Amino acid sequence: MSDAERLFESLARAIIDADETAAVQLSETILAKGFDSAKAIERGISVGMEKVGDFFEKSEYFIPDLLDCAAVAERATAILRKGLAKEPVSRGKIVMGTIFGDTHDIGKNIVALFMEAAGYKVLDLGKDVSARRFIDAAVQWKADVLAISTLMTTTRGNIQNVIEQLRLDGKRESFLILIGGRAVTREFAQTIGADGYAENAAETIRLLDKF
Amino acid sequence: MTDISPKERLDRALLGKPTDRAPVVCPGGMMNAAIVDVMNKTGHTLPEAHHDADKMSDLAFDVYENTGFENFGIPFCMTVEAEALGSAVDFGSLECEPKIQKEIFPSVHDAVYLPIGAIEKTLRAGSVIQAIHMLSAKHLDVPVIGSLTGPISAAASLIDPMTFLKQLRREKETSHKVIDYVVNQLISYAKLMADNGAAVISIADPTATGEILGPKFFDEYAVCYLNKITDAIHEIGVPVIIHICGDVRMVKPQLQKLHGDVLSVDAFVELKQLKTELGEMRTMGNLSTYLLEFGKADEIFNQAKHLTTKGIDVLAPACGLSTSTPSENIAAFTTAVKEG
Ligand code: B12
Repeated sequence: MSDAERLFESLARAIIDADETAAVQLSETILAKGFDSAKAIERGISVGMEKVGDFFEKSEYFIPDLLDCAAVAERATAILRKGLAKEPVSRGKIVMGTIFGDTHDIGKNIVALFMEAAGYKVLDLGKDVSARRFIDAAVQWKADVLAISTLMTTTRGNIQNVIEQLRLDGKRESFLILIGGRAVTREFAQTIGADGYAENAAETIRLLDKF
Repeated sequence: MTDISPKERLDRALLGKPTDRAPVVCPGGMMNAAIVDVMNKTGHTLPEAHHDADKMSDLAFDVYENTGFENFGIPFCMTVEAEALGSAVDFGSLECEPKIQKEIFPSVHDAVYLPIGAIEKTLRAGSVIQAIHMLSAKHLDVPVIGSLTGPISAAASLIDPMTFLKQLRREKETSHKVIDYVVNQLISYAKLMADNGAAVISIADPTATGEILGPKFFDEYAVCYLNKITDAIHEIGVPVIIHICGDVRMVKPQLQKLHGDVLSVDAFVELKQLKTELGEMRTMGNLSTYLLEFGKADEIFNQAKHLTTKGIDVLAPACGLSTSTPSENIAAFTTAVKEG
């Protein structure tokens, strides 16, 4: 194993352990030695976060762990970006939010984290987002996908409003619509004419990659 | 025991004493039963009743009368505490529950510690206390359940939840300090509820679900602080209901450590089995809220009957009801239980 590869591997480890000091030090060493930053991001950070995602799916890591690791990954990425010749190409632009009336956003935020880690650009509108705000943001930002979350049966009808409003605006075909959260199902997605549904963050990425 | 009052029945059930049958209740707070059907029928409506003590007690009475639940449950939301401690609240509408608009502190390090007693100084908490007082003085036989937002949910309504959850792992000392502060405020408020006639205190802590925290953090934060509140309420001789949301299978060993008089869990859990596994623990629950919203009345009736054979100490919806739940469905549930 080369010096560079050893550093990338240690970086992945530091991400998995959410060891911020080590991750920062390793990233700075990688930059200082002139090793390939893009490779460091891929083999260090992405590999580390993939492992974290695995642990999360297997219920070995929970949300506090996941968020801690993700924060370290973000910090290390910011350092390594300085070594990139150009910004990496995004795999697609996603406007995301929790639907109007609902403030449950933990799951939505986790999904957004996974999307970013997988190379998508995400504009997170937050929680309690109206149909108008979703559509205006998607149009302005020229998004490819609108990803909408809800955990409440009382508010899931509001997702349908987004789709209807898009139709009225003549823009339904401009975006893929992906929905998720405990209150919705694959069947519900079909009924309201959304393009996709995913049960969890990992499945969301698999679905996006197929689009 | 034929003439046992609803209050006596609930008290006995919570303390594990014999009763004629299990009571059927809905504690309020996260488990709010002020459904749209009831409000449309009686004209006492939300969001107004979140503020005013008279309206609050009128609506709590309407819920009692129209659903068949054998208690008054107030408040109707889980934002009273966080609002009092500084966060901005949007009071929602007839159908939509109040929600935290913005948590006041970005991180545990930014927390500002108000003197203990700050919750009950606010108008809205004052209305809750007053409504409890009016209902308990007027209806001696019906238990008033005072609902609290649990420590982790209340703390995560003050501090941005994503930062807060991360800091539970990274900044343990300050996280503990903040949660302990919230807990001391909750204790002071809960004691005032009890002093004013709340027969039972119910603590629901959705953000402390095992699915979010996992066993390690559940043990370190949820168990420890839920017990601190419970012990303080027990000191003044009032029983405590603890509700943990979601799938708790992951945290079963930790549940055993909780000091509450009954443990209420969501419909994922087979209560009969949980009871065997947890030894002494008394249980409450757990008719699926999805069944209550979307099922047919006769299905609900049968499922409720089935639950009454499971040795559950207190029957209740499995978690927070949707405000669109039809009132005839709830009536089917409570009727089935009362028929025994
Ligand atoms: C934590 C929690 C809360 C916290 C939320 C904190 C926060 N900032 O998010 C607090 C305490 C604030 C809260 C408040 C309330 N809650 Co709550 N809450 C929960 C609970 C226990 C867990 C949710 C959670 O975060 N899970 C963990 C995350 C990681 O999982 P997840 O959200 O499902 O996300 C995953 C997938 O669904 C998917 N996913 C999520 N979003 C998206 C989006 C896309 C596009 C895709 C593809 C995938 C995807 O991927 C995620 C990661 O794998 C649920 C119960 C449950 N079992 O879901 C109730 C629940 C959602 N709440 C409920 C209720 C009733 C309420 C209140 C109305 C209570 C009240 N009476 O005031 C209020 C809401 C007020 C409002 N208007 O918004 C009910 C909803 C009932 C209904 N009508 O359908 C539930 C179902 C519990 C119940 N039966 O009572 N709650």
